[in-house]
Amino acid sequence: MPRSDGAVALAPLQEWMQSVVTHHGDVYEAAESASIDVETVILPSATLEPIQRVGIYHGMYLLRMIEALTADYGALAHILGEEKFEELVRAYVLRHPSRSYTFNRLGDALPEFIASSKMKRRVFLSDLATLELAMTQVFDEAEAEPLPGDAIASIAPERIADARIVSIPALRLVSADYDVNEAFQAWREERPVKPRREKTWIAVHRRDYGVFRMPLTREAFTFLGFLIAGETIGSAIAMFHGRFRRLPEQNELFTWFRDWSAAGLFAAIDIT
Amino acid sequence: MNRFNFPDLGIGVGLRTVHFKHILGTQPDVDWFEALSENYMDTGGRPRFVLEKVAEQYPIVLHGVSLSIGGTDPLDFDYLRKLKALARSVNARWISDHLCWTGVSGRNVHDLLPMPYNAESLRHTAERVKIVSDFLETPLVVENPSSYVEFTTSTMTEWDFLAELAKESDCGLLLDVNNIYVSSFNHGFDPKVYVDAIPADRVVQVHLAGHQNHGTHIIDTHNDFVIDEVWSLYGRACARIGDVSTLLEWDADIPDFETVHAEAKKAEAFRSVEVAYAAV
Repeated sequence: MPRSDGAVALAPLQEWMQSVVTHHGDVYEAAESASIDVETVILPSATLEPIQRVGIYHGMYLLRMIEALTADYGALAHILGEEKFEELVRAYVLRHPSRSYTFNRLGDALPEFIASSKMKRRVFLSDLATLELAMTQVFDEAEAEPLPGDAIASIAPERIADARIVSIPALRLVSADYDVNEAFQAWREERPVKPRREKTWIAVHRRDYGVFRMPLTREAFTFLGFLIAGETIGSAIAMFHGRFRRLPEQNELFTWFRDWSAAGLFAAIDIT
Repeated sequence: MNRFNFPDLGIGVGLRTVHFKHILGTQPDVDWFEALSENYMDTGGRPRFVLEKVAEQYPIVLHGVSLSIGGTDPLDFDYLRKLKALARSVNARWISDHLCWTGVSGRNVHDLLPMPYNAESLRHTAERVKIVSDFLETPLVVENPSSYVEFTTSTMTEWDFLAELAKESDCGLLLDVNNIYVSSFNHGFDPKVYVDAIPADRVVQVHLAGHQNHGTHIIDTHNDFVIDEVWSLYGRACARIGDVSTLLEWDADIPDFETVHAEAKKAEAFRSVEVAYAAV
């Protein structure tokens, strides 16, 4: 909106430039749909017209979004290929533009976005994106000292049922319809990725600043989920019974707690 | 020495993820590191751990890309609180960001978008610099950006704008000589005039970097060695400012640490005033 002297004030100028730079079409379409004529606000240079000059920013916007999302979704980007991934990013940032000072959480809605899209293989792709999102979340979570390996075993037997095991912040549980753990590993090892439909349960966690993926059984996944949600061990066992019509076997519980403690999944024991 | 008594830290290198292992493992003989603020503000993971380890042994300066000091959205005090806390945790010697805006209406374009240089944007930006400096309890250090457009509403040069901004808001300046060169090519001005016009006592730090020349324009890519013309500008700047904290940025196609460090150390040849004059 021009001022009385004909000049465009700072706020509408910035609104205009952002609308052009982030427009999903090419820069000519962007300029066409904008409220201010580009030549009214941008000077030509000796070598470039105003539209070409603002086009530099327009071109870099999408490249920057692609680069940021490729960093978080490397396997997904590889499987889709350059063209399809660019198409996905273009559509995604149109719906979910960055609203943060950091790129870290730009891709948080991507798994859901894929799941609700009409993309081919969307279940597999969304599952894979869910795994990669969990990895980025775990990467950035707050650090916590894990419990010593024997801490849970040393709880007095009469108090075990009332104990709450507090998980480390850098832990996420992922369930998928496809074996995305294997697909991710194949990508990482530069092997061909062959999506295989198979229910998969994974604990994604961080230890010594490294991110790990621990495959779980459905039962282990469910029980660990109850603990992470804040249930006491006694109540988690009862809920497990409600879900599977059986109690977890002593041997199962022993193995689970041994493996989870060794992996450093727990930060504290709360017995009230 | 600048008017803020921020020390000359010597020649530093931008702290980048690909060099973490090398830096922690070999503790290279670098004078100081500059860390990109936003990469460490919202993480409790390895980047933050590494930064804190590095800060135990080297001076750290925080350099931001999302403050949006020229933006017309309200200042983001959640961001500023986190920035201040980070600066304290790593004993940052100063905090810098760019003369630019990064988005409006709650969005972040993640680019250093250019300002029109006129009275309205000067008033607006100076006011925000003062608020930010008060909040951070340290003078904000503002960097000249590289840019690809010029606005019809600009009524002053970038160097005059920066000088006025520094005076009105009492901020420090981070003089990026590569950005001066890039913008001079894109807009057709003499970069030496820019360097000569900058108030020397405001300059706290200098940036060096490589860029990509596309013939019709230059993009500030930070992906290559510093070209001779930029070294020459650096010499001219040193001659005016004296020895000043100098940092090499290398953000894309990053080579091994030794290569980056060796490139940064070329600055030593220009830091003696006599040599610098000879180079001009």
